[in-house]
Amino acid sequence: MPGDAGRANLTSSPANGPRTSRLAACLAGLVRRGRRALRGITGMPDYEAYLEHLRCSHPERPVPSPAEFFELYLESRYGGGTGRCC
Amino acid sequence: MRTLVWILIALAGAAGWAMLALARGETVSAAWLVVAAVGTYLIAYRFYSRIIARDIFGLNNRRATPAERFNNGRDFVPTNRWVLFGHHFAAISGAGPLIGPVLAAQFGYLPGTIWIVAGVVLGGAVQDFIVLIGSMRRDGKSLGQMAKEEINPFAGMAAMVAIFAIMIILLAVLALVVVNALRDSPWGLFTIACTVPIALLMGFWMKVWRPGSVGTASLAGAVLLGLALVGGRYVAVSPVLAPLFTWSGPAIAYALIGYGFVASVLPVWMLLCPRDYLSTFMKIGTVVLLGVTVLLVLPPLKLPPLTPFIDGTGPVFAGKLFPFAFITIACGAVSGFHSLVASGTTPKMVRQEEDARLIGYGGMLMESFVAVMAMCAAAILDPGVYFAINVPLARLGGSAAAAAETIRGWGFTVTPEQMHELARAVGESTLLGRTGGAPSLAVGMATLFSGAFGQHLLALWYHFAIMFEALFILTTVDTGTRVGRFMLQELGGHLWAPLGRTSWYPSIVLTSALVVAGWGYFLVQGVLDPLGGINSLWPLFGISNQLLASVALCVGTTLILKTGRTRYLWVTLLPLAWLLTVTLTASWQKVFSADPALGFLAHARQVADRIGAGAIEPGTGLRLIFNDRLDAALALLFMLVVVLVVGSSAREWILVLRKKKPATSREAPFVETAYAG
Repeated sequence: MPGDAGRANLTSSPANGPRTSRLAACLAGLVRRGRRALRGITGMPDYEAYLEHLRCSHPERPVPSPAEFFELYLESRYGGGTGRCC
Repeated sequence: MRTLVWILIALAGAAGWAMLALARGETVSAAWLVVAAVGTYLIAYRFYSRIIARDIFGLNNRRATPAERFNNGRDFVPTNRWVLFGHHFAAISGAGPLIGPVLAAQFGYLPGTIWIVAGVVLGGAVQDFIVLIGSMRRDGKSLGQMAKEEINPFAGMAAMVAIFAIMIILLAVLALVVVNALRDSPWGLFTIACTVPIALLMGFWMKVWRPGSVGTASLAGAVLLGLALVGGRYVAVSPVLAPLFTWSGPAIAYALIGYGFVASVLPVWMLLCPRDYLSTFMKIGTVVLLGVTVLLVLPPLKLPPLTPFIDGTGPVFAGKLFPFAFITIACGAVSGFHSLVASGTTPKMVRQEEDARLIGYGGMLMESFVAVMAMCAAAILDPGVYFAINVPLARLGGSAAAAAETIRGWGFTVTPEQMHELARAVGESTLLGRTGGAPSLAVGMATLFSGAFGQHLLALWYHFAIMFEALFILTTVDTGTRVGRFMLQELGGHLWAPLGRTSWYPSIVLTSALVVAGWGYFLVQGVLDPLGGINSLWPLFGISNQLLASVALCVGTTLILKTGRTRYLWVTLLPLAWLLTVTLTASWQKVFSADPALGFLAHARQVADRIGAGAIEPGTGLRLIFNDRLDAALALLFMLVVVLVVGSSAREWILVLRKKKPATSREAPFVETAYAG
């Protein structure tokens, strides 16, 4: 869930810190969510989201390197032959 | 209060249609086209899609989706619905909804617009939505699997054959559009040629040098693409480089065939995946830009609402308004191809069942809106200019002066100077007879963009539009070739097991070569055709696409039947009946019409007579005759497949309705979601 991670990060930022750092954290959260949305729309791989998924659902499994994850992604996106429309 | 808002939306939509229909003699603003379309979409989404979502299928957010149950962080991923809306839209949209309306504009803007809007709300969006629901409730099964399991194995097999045949014709006709846009155009060819090294660079970057850094690589790719676009201008005027990038139609065709083969054989990360990203950026960016510009400029429509060509004498393509306006529009109203995406990646990403309404039905409404904007872009051109670009040179009379004369004969005016000036302004040697829709769409878009952002950039915008169309058509060509290869490998695996191993190199090379040879043959045939090829191939493509939609609607009808809500069967039977009428009439006319401009067999007879009279060289003539017969055979094959699928589905429906057969649905059992409300 691209949106939820950003939100979680927002709430974990220092709530009683100086105003500017709160603003910076808020902006960083927005940028992160925007990037995730863009990745989702264009179908690009999302390494961070995959790590999050592993942490939540399969904490016992080894964590893949970015290169290994990219292999997995290519296989699931193009392995069966995804078409683009006319 | 809410009721009031919906009444206002309905009234605005009705006013839009009234303005379009009643305007006579004066030009209408594109604003009315947009108001009519958007008003209709909103009403249809709010009221009609709700019937499908609630009353027929009972979409329920308490029911866990495949994305939730099989979440693997890769292809099964619960995705925010607006993100998935964008993702689904990017996967279904392509060149079809842009080019179909431009070609159909030969009948005037009204018939095309009515079908784009009415066809989508009652047909196209219904098809996409129901197939998405069906697949989502069956763990993400494909259309072919659903046809096999829900109807019968024969229907499943027929659907596979239909998909493969459509793929071949689709790739040929789209490649032909690119050839017609790039031949004798050094600027366009240079820009598109540059995308290959750019994609290779991106591929090595994200796979070898900086594994996984896709974002940075793509950003660099987009910047380089911009440089290639601007650089094209200098190539076009350079006495050394311009001849190097000025290629004839057949040369570009063979290059595309070679490219398709290489892209299918190479590992995906090298060429195919990076190009996929580039074309997705371009697609989304340009569609947004086009929408904003049309709304900003709200140009007057110069094309008449109806032209005399509705009687079937049209020079862009042959055939009367019925059935050919509906065949030509193709993807903007109903596209069978979408059922492959709606039963492919998308159903595995839907987070909650009710999201499917926005994604399936809403995504297709968006696609239709793109088609409406393409119609605007064509309709803002002077009708004389529109015909000078879209009619084959042979039909125009060969020269600019003759073309002006021919077009005057049709009742529109254009001067040779006007065409020359326009070609110079967009940085081309000539625009006469550049068939295929892409160049006239690019002129329309460039006129719009430069109207909004400054007149002096016309040439840059024109080549931007050409690059955008060519780029994502080529992405369809390379991914399509790969999909065709997988299908052939699966089929071949039944004959000889090693052929079915998707990573065995001899099998990859053999099946890729077969697929490329298939569409390549039709492409070369189109390029060598003196009437430009679009004339005969685009209707074949439209027919095949609408026939696949008929297959999808047969599956949809079966799905509704199996919910037990038989009083809603008309929701899919209505568009199915219409599509069958349109496509069977069109294929019949394409094969058997006595008019040589329309019927393949009549054209073959005409060529035979001309060989007899010595007016045409026997070698060329025999090739034309063979191609006519091949096209006729293909149209007959399409008819046969669809009649068989509809027939065998209808048999199932009757058996179930008469209770001679239980309505067993293969829906996955209900599992309660773990998500909080």
